Amino acid sequence: MSNAIEIRGVRKTFGPKVAVENLDLHVPEGSLYGFIGPNGAGKSTTIRMIMSIIFPDQGELRVLGKASAVESKDRIGYLPEERGVYKKMKVGVFLNYIARLKGIDAAAADKRVKEWLVRVGLQETYRKKCEELSKGMQQKVQFITSVIHEPDLLILDEVFTGLDPVNRRLMRELIQEQNDRGATIIFSTHAMREAEELCDNIFMIHKGVKVIDSSLEDVWRRYDPKTMVVEPISPADLALGWGALPGARAATEKDNAVEISLHDGADIGELMRQAATLAPVRRLEVKRASLEDIFISIVGSGGGETVEQLRMELAAGKGSTSEELAEVTRG
Amino acid sequence: MGKVFIIAWREFLAIVATKAFILGLLLPPAIMTLLMFALPLLMNKKPPTVYGHIALIDQSGKVTPRLVDAYDPVKQKERKEQRDKAVKEQVAAGMKSIGLDDKTAGELKKQMDSNPAASQAASILAETNLVLQVLPPETPVDEARQAILKATGREKAEDGHAARLALLVIPKNAVDAEKDENGRPKFGPFQLLTAPRLNVEVQGDIRDQARRAIVDTRLTDAGQDVEQVRALMARPEVEEKAVTASGDSKINAAAKMLVPGAFMFLLWISVFSSGQYLLMSTIEEKSSRVMEVLLSAVSPLQLMLGKIIGKGAVGLLILALFSSAGVAALIFFAMAELIAWENLVLLLVYFVIAYIVVACLMAAIGAAVNDVNEAQALMTPVMLILVVPMMLWFPILNNPNSTFAVVCSFVPLINPFVMVLRICGSEAIPMWQIPVSILVGFITVVVMCWASAKIFRIGVLMYGKPPNFTTLIKWVRMA
Repeated sequence: MSNAIEIRGVRKTFGPKVAVENLDLHVPEGSLYGFIGPNGAGKSTTIRMIMSIIFPDQGELRVLGKASAVESKDRIGYLPEERGVYKKMKVGVFLNYIARLKGIDAAAADKRVKEWLVRVGLQETYRKKCEELSKGMQQKVQFITSVIHEPDLLILDEVFTGLDPVNRRLMRELIQEQNDRGATIIFSTHAMREAEELCDNIFMIHKGVKVIDSSLEDVWRRYDPKTMVVEPISPADLALGWGALPGARAATEKDNAVEISLHDGADIGELMRQAATLAPVRRLEVKRASLEDIFISIVGSGGGETVEQLRMELAAGKGSTSEELAEVTRG
Repeated sequence: MGKVFIIAWREFLAIVATKAFILGLLLPPAIMTLLMFALPLLMNKKPPTVYGHIALIDQSGKVTPRLVDAYDPVKQKERKEQRDKAVKEQVAAGMKSIGLDDKTAGELKKQMDSNPAASQAASILAETNLVLQVLPPETPVDEARQAILKATGREKAEDGHAARLALLVIPKNAVDAEKDENGRPKFGPFQLLTAPRLNVEVQGDIRDQARRAIVDTRLTDAGQDVEQVRALMARPEVEEKAVTASGDSKINAAAKMLVPGAFMFLLWISVFSSGQYLLMSTIEEKSSRVMEVLLSAVSPLQLMLGKIIGKGAVGLLILALFSSAGVAALIFFAMAELIAWENLVLLLVYFVIAYIVVACLMAAIGAAVNDVNEAQALMTPVMLILVVPMMLWFPILNNPNSTFAVVCSFVPLINPFVMVLRICGSEAIPMWQIPVSILVGFITVVVMCWASAKIFRIGVLMYGKPPNFTTLIKWVRMA
């Protein structure tokens, strides 16, 4: 299978600041790739280079088999991080305009616009001005601009920000639909939960350097925390001898549950059976690391920041990447 | 190219299909029409008749009969009619002087005569009903002037004759000359004391009648025939014509100054308003963050080109509407000879040059800033350069072939405006200067497009601190 995107040894600097350093990335066709990392990590810079909006200082980049995204713009759907709508334009007119710019002829464009508005539940906004829409509704309109021409490659930069839980779910469904249709999808987010739920491949970047690039399965296997969680029905059972089970190294009580850390090569099946005989349990699971934990375990050791700082960076949604880059370029 | 025109079409409609634009185009002619109908209606109201008396202290004892005759009711009425007629003739002459042919002017005059509203509009002069009250020559002036204070100048009815509107004091030396040191006759002044609110027209009439009576008396005393002297002194009429190849032209100098100025102004307005629209729409796209959405479909260069073409079409529409209105007006006033048709083609060429240069500046500035306020700082130097042609209007028109005017014709940015002034002017300019100035303009266009494309490409994705000119130049070098 060929690659939708190939990046080899790419480096990009803005003045003294290195935004992306020696980056290699191969995104296979039909995959659903999550770009994750805190704000300012280099996600948007990478995406903009893929889109040929900015150009790398060094290295090679191929998009859909061409040297530049410009050559296949009509096959790519891109939802930028910095996005907006014409305030005074009517929603229908705006979407038609974008569709026409994406190479769809006028008659087909309007039909598709109407279908998409129905799909995202905004059919009554066709004749409304964009400024009359709520932020979440505008976000959905912007999403339509990126998929209206049924692109082979869909790049979504921070697509979940500003959406309520219901619309987040809708957005996940829509992205999944596009992937099922056969489109290669890349989406960036600093909210790692979304990535966990959606993508099959992870590309994690920190301070311009790639730290993880593999399938989610691999990530789970590689970063197995080797911990089992037991939640007994009766709180009195928390004090039982969980740490003495075969293969267990130690047991600690946490939030009405017991976390049992395991020896390498412990027999998980046997351990579970034994645990279940010890006391009636509400929950018994082998813990899976969250991407956030993995990210912190990888970069926390190398960088100067404390783990708390990193968690805050990940949680915070403020300060866009482009603003920082703009500052640096001007200096 | 297809995408460029889709952008251009949206940019065009975004301005033209707005209420503000349509109103802006329709409002000026609507106001003009309203004024044309409202003014005669307002002027239709006749001014009130002035009642009152004029006191006369004639110390010379010779002027009284002539003044009594002048203020005879019949004579007063005659004078008023004569003045009305003169006003109408002046209006007609004015029409003629701005180039209306005799036929049209005559038609207008006939209409004014037949149409009571029109003729009354012209008769803005007050009707008078004045009585001359002759006081004994020895009456003290101080005593006689007291009565003036009681007059308001707005007496309504016949009994208003009791009001003293003015006091004429004619000393003996105003009529009988004293000899000065060289033995030449020397006349003294006469006094005219008036009520503070006396109608200016009436005051002028009293002054004129007194002067005339005094001069006539002097002439009679000197043994001259008054009528004959007046005929001899009549100011000779003049007929002025400019000799041109297509025949004698009666168009006056003012119109010759106005037409090139109007065309330059038209060029300036259309270039500027479309440039302004371009600046605003670029800033809007940036501040509303729609820019990168667009850039996902088109390249920055396509976007800039589309915007420039679209807003240029708006400018062209403004130019076409106003210049066709202007040409229509000139044809109506039979002054079409003031426009050479090839100049309209040149107007278009210079519009394209001026517009693209200004549009490039505006696109670059719009792309570089975050909001309108930041744009102001960068706009100031641009504006300073572009008001220059406005200030050069008179010096260049007065002398279209001066070294100064020729040099200005080759200065980038202002040369389209200067050239439009010069080619529309009355003096022919050397032919070689037109292609050379167009070449200069063309080079400016190429350089500006190149530089602004670079600034645009970097600027559109920049947010944060607004750049200054140094930064913009850095961007040009960088990309």
